[in-house]
Amino acid sequence: MNILVFIKQVADTEARILIKGDNRSLEIENKYNLNFFDEFAVEEAIRFKGKVKDSKISVCTYGGKKAVEALRTAIAMGADQAYLIDNTDLDTDDPLITAKILAGFAKKEGFDLILCGRQAIDDENGNIGAMVAEFLKIPHVTAITKLDVVDEKKIIVENDIEGGKETKEVQLPALLTTQKGINEPRVPLITGVMKAMKANIPVIDPVTLGLAKESLDRNASKIKILSYETPKGRPPVKIIDGETPEEKVKKLIKLLREEAKVL
Amino acid sequence: MDFSFSKEQVFFREQFTKTLNEIVAPHAATIDQEDAFPHEIFKKIGNLGYYGMRYPQEIGGMGADCTTFTIFAEELASVSISFAAIATMQCLMGTDFLFRFGNRDIKERVLIPAIRGEKIGTIAFTEPDCGSDLGAIKTRAIKKGDVYILKGRKLWITNAEVADFVTVVASVEPAKRINGLAFFLVEKGTPGFYTGQKIEKMSARGSVTGELIFDECTIPASNLLGEEGKGAQYLESILSEIRVMIAGLGIGLAKSAYRSAVMYSKQREAFGRSIGNFQLIQDKIAEMETRIRSAWLLTYYAAWLKDNGKQAKKEAAMAKLYSTETASFVVDQATRIYGSYGIAHEYPVERYFRDARFLLFGGGTSEILKTLIARECLKT
Ligand SMILES: Cc1cc2nc3c(=O)[nH]c(=O)nc-3n(C[C@H](O)[C@H](O)[C@H](O)COP(=O)(O)OP(=O)(O)OC[C@H]3O[C@@H](n4cnc5c(N)ncnc54)[C@H](O)[C@@H]3O)c2cc1C
Repeated sequence: MNILVFIKQVADTEARILIKGDNRSLEIENKYNLNFFDEFAVEEAIRFKGKVKDSKISVCTYGGKKAVEALRTAIAMGADQAYLIDNTDLDTDDPLITAKILAGFAKKEGFDLILCGRQAIDDENGNIGAMVAEFLKIPHVTAITKLDVVDEKKIIVENDIEGGKETKEVQLPALLTTQKGINEPRVPLITGVMKAMKANIPVIDPVTLGLAKESLDRNASKIKILSYETPKGRPPVKIIDGETPEEKVKKLIKLLREEAKVL
Repeated sequence: MDFSFSKEQVFFREQFTKTLNEIVAPHAATIDQEDAFPHEIFKKIGNLGYYGMRYPQEIGGMGADCTTFTIFAEELASVSISFAAIATMQCLMGTDFLFRFGNRDIKERVLIPAIRGEKIGTIAFTEPDCGSDLGAIKTRAIKKGDVYILKGRKLWITNAEVADFVTVVASVEPAKRINGLAFFLVEKGTPGFYTGQKIEKMSARGSVTGELIFDECTIPASNLLGEEGKGAQYLESILSEIRVMIAGLGIGLAKSAYRSAVMYSKQREAFGRSIGNFQLIQDKIAEMETRIRSAWLLTYYAAWLKDNGKQAKKEAAMAKLYSTETASFVVDQATRIYGSYGIAHEYPVERYFRDARFLLFGGGTSEILKTLIARECLKT
């Protein structure tokens, strides 16, 4: 079986991020990681491969040249092959375009199962998986927390719903996005790290995926980022004074009512 | 000229850092506090295959070059000197002579499990009365038929109380001093092999250090590693690698202390400004960074020499000398920047301060290294 995993390289949660002068682009400290939710997808693919013989895992990202590091991480964990679809000069604000490109890749590569993280922790769009599935006209389940194989045509998945969980039967081929809790992503073995260090990762030009360049560039974007803002700083801490605890509590309640308006 | 690491080395550093942050970093302070061998962490890193990194793939290693091994040391030390001491012992001094001279049985029974983190190894040459002066080793090995009988005491031995096996340096011919040494494998449980006192110390705690006693300890003659009389020569052959590795440890520790100090200089305020605004604090920061960068250049230059098959004896000695002295300098400056907090157990800089001392002795003291460097200089 062909398992595809779509991944994204994102800024580390501790990386310093500054908004550039134009307010529309970011300057990100050189600290990147494989997206948190995508680690679950890679791990699940490896476990799936363990259950269904003759499976092969290909990971793919649409990103800049640097994103090859995230692909190598996936290989270190256990993926067989990786592909970088190079977005140089094509970087878009519109996830629909990204989804179109990934779907184009999936069609070309062939697949039985596609996994990806439920969302990227940088832009938090959370819609790539669903859109790729739509382009490919295949079933899709979001944020799964369990994946069981029935046979080569059928799987059972679980996802969390308000107050409980839901179990679904899904026909393959299908696209699933992974949620935290589905597994414990592995720390790569040194042999995996070595394999990843040496892996030859083909770079794909998106126009070779049967998509016209005009349909991929900035002008084709139906969504454009206008500006970024940093969150407001927290208001200063207020220390409540008073002679006795009773007096302090009284003052606190008054403030919670009148200033914070939470009571 | 090109001062950059290869893509592979960059990737290795990244992966290893992540692994350390997940498995070791959360416990670094506890390892130091408890001063007990961290068995669980030791096994976890072993299961991932890191202890074999210098060895060929056929036996579970990755055939890493000296540069990659130095990166390994650097990243270890920036997280925990205690664990760095344990891991580097397992990768290099504790297993190297088994790899080079062990027969098939020794390799399969001892070396391969050690690489997987299932057995703990160490090396023992230091004695209560001698460290730098290996010619003064008193531990004797006497051959009787097809066994050797060992008699003597070793002190300052890393992992002494937990080691499953040890490479022991003993004299087969005391009159020949340094040319009368040989290496032997002794396994835990061998009659006449005991562990003695544990040394309470301030640095590299958790990498437990202690005494080994050989009282008519009888081992098969096949446990002789290499040839009689060649011990010093064998040790010499990995000394440069050991020195570059320890230099890497120095850089890692110094970098951690430096990073903490810079962060604190920006946060801490005095006289209405962050202390980083004061020229005397800036002087410390500039000195620290410049020395760390110099140590870095020397160390990776020595590693590069080794990887390119060039003579690196003097450079490795200079790297170890300069990098470990730099680490001691940097932890001193960093803790000054922290003011009184610099001596509080609560802050990692206090641990860095204590740990830096560990780097000054093994692989040659600064005095010994200077002697060696000068001797090389005067040769020409
Ligand atoms: C934490 C820790 C772990 C260790 N683990 C191990 C281990 O696993 N196995 C092992 O075998 N050893 C181990 N050692 C011992 C270490 O290798 C020795 O400390 C080192 O070789 C120096 O020997 P010494 O401490 O006996 O100092 P000495 O050799 O006694 O030196 C004392 C002082 O005299 C100076 N000196 C000595 N000779 C000269 C000279 N010719 N010229 C100028 N100055 C000189 C030294 O520089 C030093 O300042 C460990 C040490 C430490 C601190």
